Amino acid sequence: MKKKTYYETQLEKVIEQSALPEYHYLQVRQSKDFMEKCYSEKIELDKIAMAACMSRFHYIRLFQTIYGTTPRQYLKDLRINKAKELIKNGLSVAQVCYEVGYDSLQTFSSAFKRGTGFSPREYQKMNISNRE
Amino acid sequence: MIKIHVTSLLVDDQEKALKFYTEKLGFVKKTEIPLGEHKWLTVVAANELNGVELVLEPIGFEPAKTYQKALKDAGIPLTSFKVDDLNKEYERLKSEGVKFSMEPKTMGPVIMAVLDDTCGNNIQLVQKL
Repeated sequence: MKKKTYYETQLEKVIEQSALPEYHYLQVRQSKDFMEKCYSEKIELDKIAMAACMSRFHYIRLFQTIYGTTPRQYLKDLRINKAKELIKNGLSVAQVCYEVGYDSLQTFSSAFKRGTGFSPREYQKMNISNRE
Repeated sequence: MIKIHVTSLLVDDQEKALKFYTEKLGFVKKTEIPLGEHKWLTVVAANELNGVELVLEPIGFEPAKTYQKALKDAGIPLTSFKVDDLNKEYERLKSEGVKFSMEPKTMGPVIMAVLDDTCGNNIQLVQKL
């Protein structure tokens, strides 16, 4: 077996001393997988916390500690990134809106603009002109 | 607003580094400006051509060589790059002869591995889980 480097042994020490037990990471990851699978549906925070087998309060705090963002913001970013891909693939703005879990075009457009600095239509136009 | 536009990596040979960073790691050359015996040489991620540039900077300063060697010997990465699928990248790079001083290891919310860039540095690859 290859000898571990100083770095690797230090990393192992750090993780051993971590205040968070390994199962907490696993639980939070489970919820992240859940969001990645179900982003196109209307999902409530309670349901996401349930996927992590935690209370809503404990879950939000833990998610933020690990990923530096709230689960709600993470889901929003995930949806906007998926929306960008779908717009690039040529889907209409309305189609994209429903594909990424929004049921109001207006809410989707505002979230998209906040996340990217462009409205979905502006983003669509930019991609069309880039292709040309 | 202040932004990060370049970050620098000291390398023992710019040509060798350019080959490794483009051919093995998949970066794309962005600028190559001759400057005396060396050059201003930068690469960027293939999917972020206008993103942060990585300067492949020649290591000429003796104390820097001592520092670089100490990091290298201890297996400490000089910098870290993000990947979407670490196990896949690990297998791909290994099949291309890239050497790893640390195999993929899950550490809390990430999985990471450390490779040898052949230019004097350990480089960490990280996938967020």
